Amino acid sequence: MITEKIMHPFEPLTTGARALQLMTKGARLLQSALALTALATLAACSAGGAPTVVNQQATPGPTASSYTGPAAANADVQSFKINLWENIRVSSRCGGCHHEGGQSPMFARSDDVNLAYQAANPLVNFSAPEQSTLVLKVSGGHNCWVADPKACGDTMLTWIKAWVGGGSSSSTGVTLETPPSQTVGANKQFPADSSGFQTYVWTPILRQFCTNCHRSDAATPQQPYFASSDPTEAYAAAQPKIDLNTPANSRFVVRLRDEHHNCWTTPSGGAADCAGSSAAMLQAITDYANTISVTQVDPTLVLSKALSLKQGTVASGGNRYEANLVAKYEFKTGTGTIAYDTSGVNPSADLNFTGPVSWVGGWGINIATGGKAQASTASSKKLSDMITSTGEYTIEAWAAPNDVAQTGANIVSYSGSDTTRNASLIQDAMQYEGRTRSDKTDTDGKPGLMTNAATNPVQAALQHVVLTYDPVNGQKLYINGVFTGSVDNKGGSLGSWDNTFALVLGAETTGKRQWQGVLKFVAIHNRALTAAQVTQNFNAGVGERYFLLFDVAALTGVSQAYIMVTASQFDSYAYLFTNPTFISLDPQAAPANITLKGMRIGENGSELTAGQSYATLNTTLGGSAYNATSGQLLSSVGAVFASDKGVDSDMFFLSFDQIGSNMHAHTEPVGVVAAPTDVPRAPDVGVRTFAEYNTSLANVTGVSTTNTNVNTMYNGLQQSLPASYDITAFVASQQGAMAQLAGQYCSELTSSSSLRAAFFPGLNFGQNDAATYFGSSLSANRMLVITPLMNKAVGVNVNAQTAAKVQGEVDNLITALVTLNGNSSGRVTAITQAACSAVLGSGAVSLK
Amino acid sequence: MATKIHNGTKGSQLTRTAVSALCALSVLTQLASPAVAGPREQAVRLHNRIAGVPPSPADLDTMAGFIQQGDPASLQAAAAIATSNASFYNVTLKNFVTPWTNRDQTVFAPLNDYTATVIGMVRDNVPFNTALSADILYTIDNVSGLPAPSLSNNDHYATADANGVDLKANLAQKLQSSVYGLPPAATAGLITTRGSASAFFVAGTNRAMFRFTLINHLCRDMEQVQDTTRPTDRIRQDVARSPGGDSRIFLNSCVGCHSGMDPMAQAFAYYNFDATAGAMQYTSGQVQPKYFINSDNFKSGFVTPDDSWANRWRQGQNSTLGWSPSLPGNGNGAKSLGQELASSDAFTDCQVQKVFKAVCFRAPSDQPDRNEIDQLKLNFRNSNYSLKQVFADAGLYCRGQ
Repeated sequence: MITEKIMHPFEPLTTGARALQLMTKGARLLQSALALTALATLAACSAGGAPTVVNQQATPGPTASSYTGPAAANADVQSFKINLWENIRVSSRCGGCHHEGGQSPMFARSDDVNLAYQAANPLVNFSAPEQSTLVLKVSGGHNCWVADPKACGDTMLTWIKAWVGGGSSSSTGVTLETPPSQTVGANKQFPADSSGFQTYVWTPILRQFCTNCHRSDAATPQQPYFASSDPTEAYAAAQPKIDLNTPANSRFVVRLRDEHHNCWTTPSGGAADCAGSSAAMLQAITDYANTISVTQVDPTLVLSKALSLKQGTVASGGNRYEANLVAKYEFKTGTGTIAYDTSGVNPSADLNFTGPVSWVGGWGINIATGGKAQASTASSKKLSDMITSTGEYTIEAWAAPNDVAQTGANIVSYSGSDTTRNASLIQDAMQYEGRTRSDKTDTDGKPGLMTNAATNPVQAALQHVVLTYDPVNGQKLYINGVFTGSVDNKGGSLGSWDNTFALVLGAETTGKRQWQGVLKFVAIHNRALTAAQVTQNFNAGVGERYFLLFDVAALTGVSQAYIMVTASQFDSYAYLFTNPTFISLDPQAAPANITLKGMRIGENGSELTAGQSYATLNTTLGGSAYNATSGQLLSSVGAVFASDKGVDSDMFFLSFDQIGSNMHAHTEPVGVVAAPTDVPRAPDVGVRTFAEYNTSLANVTGVSTTNTNVNTMYNGLQQSLPASYDITAFVASQQGAMAQLAGQYCSELTSSSSLRAAFFPGLNFGQNDAATYFGSSLSANRMLVITPLMNKAVGVNVNAQTAAKVQGEVDNLITALVTLNGNSSGRVTAITQAACSAVLGSGAVSLK
Repeated sequence: MATKIHNGTKGSQLTRTAVSALCALSVLTQLASPAVAGPREQAVRLHNRIAGVPPSPADLDTMAGFIQQGDPASLQAAAAIATSNASFYNVTLKNFVTPWTNRDQTVFAPLNDYTATVIGMVRDNVPFNTALSADILYTIDNVSGLPAPSLSNNDHYATADANGVDLKANLAQKLQSSVYGLPPAATAGLITTRGSASAFFVAGTNRAMFRFTLINHLCRDMEQVQDTTRPTDRIRQDVARSPGGDSRIFLNSCVGCHSGMDPMAQAFAYYNFDATAGAMQYTSGQVQPKYFINSDNFKSGFVTPDDSWANRWRQGQNSTLGWSPSLPGNGNGAKSLGQELASSDAFTDCQVQKVFKAVCFRAPSDQPDRNEIDQLKLNFRNSNYSLKQVFADAGLYCRGQ
C-alpha cells in the first residue's frame, strides 16, 4: 500500500518543495516540468520554511471501543490507524454511519483496520490533503460533529496530515485555477460640481461641527480641511472620507459611530451624542449619495478583469511544525461564540467567548475590555496531562496588542485564579512575560521571565510570540521567529501543575488581568520548540491567503497572461496584496518588451484613494526578466487597502497608466489653497524676552552683562523671564523676575561710583538728608535722578506723553520715599536705586 | 537690590512703594503709546524690534534723521543701523534660531553650530536658500580660551555663549567638510550640523530630521501636509499597517504622513548620531541599522537599499507647496533633498512669515499684511535670499506711523 500511495498521480514531487499544478477551466493539468519549475514562484508567494510536520498525539478518542480486529498490515496502515482511524471510527463521528455493514464507503469500520484503510485511500488526496474528500465533505457540513464545519474540516485535515506525513517530511501542491472572466462593474462617482456636497454634507454638518480643527485657519489646524470655508478645498478633502456606494462605511460615519471622535451634543444641548451624530452624518451622506446616479466605469481606464477574493486559489497554509500539538486555535469560524480547537487531540479544548470578543476578518478574534475566551476545566485537563508527561511545553501565539500600555495582561494563560497558574504568556507594556509554575517558582509562576526592557519588543502590531519551557533551560521567549535572549535558567519539575485549571485567552479566569487585542492563532505544544522550529512556524505566517489572477491577456496580447497577487484579508477592515507577478499560464508564451507603468488597485468599480503601492511601477514585462514558470515579480512591497462592501462582495481589479500599447493618463488630485480670512490683529506691542531685557538693562545702565552679581541673578532668573514677545502670555511672575533683575542692575549701577557718576551726573550720593536734598516736587536735585532715567529708558524726545508720565511717577515716588526715614546714611543712594528700579522694571524698558 | 534697599520696616515700605510705582508705570507706559508715532518713536520701535534693545542716543538720532527723510533708501539706512547692532546677532537671531535646533523647541539652550551658522549667514548675506544644502559652517575665530570646534561636542559654542562673545564680530565662515571631516557631498548645511544631528539624528528612525526640518523651514508640521492619496510603496517595514488590529488607523492617519515622509527621509539613510560618542556618523553607501528596526511590523514594507529619495508631494494636495520646476524631485542624499526643500515657495514663505511674526508680533492678519508678505518674499528673492533684508523690510513695515 505504501507503494501504491507513492504511485498516486498527485504525489509530491520533491521533498521540501511544493508542486504547482495549473488548471484551466477544464481542470487541465500542466506538465510536471512546468509544475516543477513553478515551485519558486509559490514558495515566494506563500511562506517559506521546511515542510509541515504533523504527528498525531496518541490520545484516546471520545467513546471508542477497544479494537480487537486484525493487526495493521504494515507501518502505513498502523499510521492510518493511530492518526486517523482511531479519531473517526467513534459513533459520534464517521463511525456512526460508515461502520462495518453500514453506509459505503466503510472507511470507519471498527472490525478490520486494514479494510478501513483500503476504503479510506480513495477518499484522501495525498498530494493535496486539503482537497481530500474526507475534508471537503465535513467542511461542507456533512455530519460535522461540532457546530462549525470549518473546524471539522481543519481537524480532519490535521489527522490526515498526521497520517500522510507520518512524522517525516511532506509537501503539498497548489493548483491554480483560471479565474472567471468578469468585467469591472459600474459605480457611483463624485461629480465635479460640489454643490450637492455643499447642500447635504458641508453646510449642515461639516461647517457646523468640524470647524474648530478641520480648516487651515483654525487655531490648531488639522488636516484634512473638509470643514474649510472654501467649499472647493473642503470637497477635495472630504471625498476620501465619503463612501457613495455604501454610506455607512464612510469614514465620516465610522469616526463618529465607532470611534466617538468629537461627537456633537444633542439639539437640547445635552452630552455628546455619538449615536445621534453618526446617524445625522449617515443621513446626510445617504441623501447626498442618492442624488448621484450610478456611472459606468471610466471607459478610458485601462483595466484588467475583476475578481473577488474568494475567486482566487487558496494558498495552502504554511509549513508549520506541529508534531507535538496539544491544542490549536485558528479562529476560522467567523460566527458564534466558540473558537474550536483544531489540533485533533482529544478532547477538543474549545474556547467559549465571554464578554466583548468579536471575530476578525481573515481569521482571528478581537478581545476587548471585559472579554475572554476560555476552555472548560475538563477539556483543559489534557494540557496538564500531556505537558507534565513530557515536562516541556510551548505556547505559540500570533497576537496584535491594542496598545503598548497594558500591563499584567494575560494573552494566553492556563490558570486557576489571579494568583495561581500553571503557565501564562503575558504582556507588560512593551515587554512580554512568561510564567511557569514549577518547583523553582511559587504557585503564581513567579519569578517570571521578562523580555529585555531596553529593547521594548512589544509593538501594537501583529507579532508571533512564543514561550517555551524545558527542564534544562526553563523559559525562553521568541518574537517573530527570533530568540529574544531572555532565558531564566529556572528549569524544574512541572509536577506541581494543577489539572483543574482552565485555558483562557485575553484575561484571567476571573476576568482580571485583561489583555486587549487581536489573536489570529494560538497553539499549545507539549515540547519546547527548538529555535529552528519557532522560526519555521513564524515563516509559515498566519491567516487565509489566495492567489488572485487578474487577466491582462487582452491588454498585453500574451496568451493567458495574468498579474498574479497573493491576497488576504489583512484584518477586519482591509485587504493585503503582495508579490504582484506577471505570469502567463501558457508555457509557450514568450512575452517581450511590454511596458507597464502605474498599476493601481481598484475596488467595486473605482480606483482606491489610499494604499496604492504599485502606482509608481515603471517596468518592462517579458524578455530576460521573465521566467516562463515563475513569471516576473513586479514589486516586493505589499499593498494594504480598505475593504468596502465586505469580503463576499468586494470586487478587485487593476488599472494601468500603461500596459503594452494601452495608455491612460492618470489624473492626480489638484491641490487647493483656501482663500485666507482676516483675523483681528494681535496687540501691537510686545514684551522683551529674557535676553533682550537683560541686554537692554545692560545697555541702559552701562553695567556689563558679565558683571558677576548680575550674571548670577540672570542665570537664576532666566527661565522666569518672558520667553515670548506675546504680551497676552505675560504673567505676574515674569514681572516679578524682571523687577528683581532691574533691581540688581540698579544696585550695581548705584554702588559703582564711576557708573553712577556717568549715569546721574551731578547727583550727590554722599548726602544723608534725602528730604532736604531732594526738596520739593521736581526740584533741580530730583531732576538729577529723573531726567537721566527718563532719557535713557524712554529716550530723548521720544514719546513725550510717556516721558511726562514717567517724570510724574518718579517724582511722586521720591516724595513718598523721603518721608520714610529720609535723613539717614545712604538714603539718597537708596532712593535713587529705588527710582532706577521702578523705571527699569517698568514697561518703559520691558515693552518694545 | 533687596539687601541694599531693605532697611528694616522703613526699607520694606520703601520697596513696596517702589514696586507700586513700578506697576503703575507699567500700565502708564502702555496707555501712553502715542496714536501717531513720529520719526523718533518709529526709530526706537524699529531698533527695538530688530535688535531687541533700545538704540543708543546717537543711533536714535541718526535713525530718526533717516526716517524723517522718508525715501526708501533712507529707510533702508535706518534699518541697517538696527541690523548692524551686535544685539541683532547675539540676542535677536540667537533666540530666533535656537528653538529650531532642539526637539523641545526651547529657546533656553546654549549656542550651537546650527544657530551660529544661521547668524553668520545672515550677517554675511549668504543666500539663505542654500541653508539646507551648502558646505558651510560658522565658527568663532580670534577669541582666546575657546575649545576648538568639534564634531564630538558643543564646547566651542557653549563656551563662547557663556563668555558673551560678540558673534557679529567673531563669527567666521568655514567649510563644514573641512572642520568636521565629512565628505563635501555629505554636507547639507544646517541639516548636517552637529547641533541638528544631535537633536534629530539621535536614536529613532531619522524621520525626526525630516519632520523638524519641515516644521522649522517650511512652517508645516506633518498634520498639515498629510495626504492619504500618495503611493504607499516606500513606507518602511516598521510602520504597523494594522496598529492595534485596526488598519483603518493606518489608511486614514499613518499613510497621510508616511507616504510622503518616508520616501524623503530616505535621504538621511547614511546618517546617525552616536549618543555615546557624542558625534554624528556618516556611513557612505551603508544604510544605518535604524532604517531596519521593527522590520517584522510589516514584512512587506519597504526595505531601504540606499539614500535615494523621492518627493511624492509634487503631486496632490502638497503640490501647492510650490516645488521648483527646475529640480527633478528626486535624488540621493541630504544635500539634494535640502535643495529640493529650500527651493520651494513654502521655504521662502516660511522664512518670511517667521521674520514677520518675530518683528511685528503677529501672524499676517489682513490683506495689507498679506500684501506685505508677498512683498517681503519678492524682496527676499531679489536680494539673493538675504534674511537680513527680510528683517529690515519687516521692521520698517511694523515701525508704526
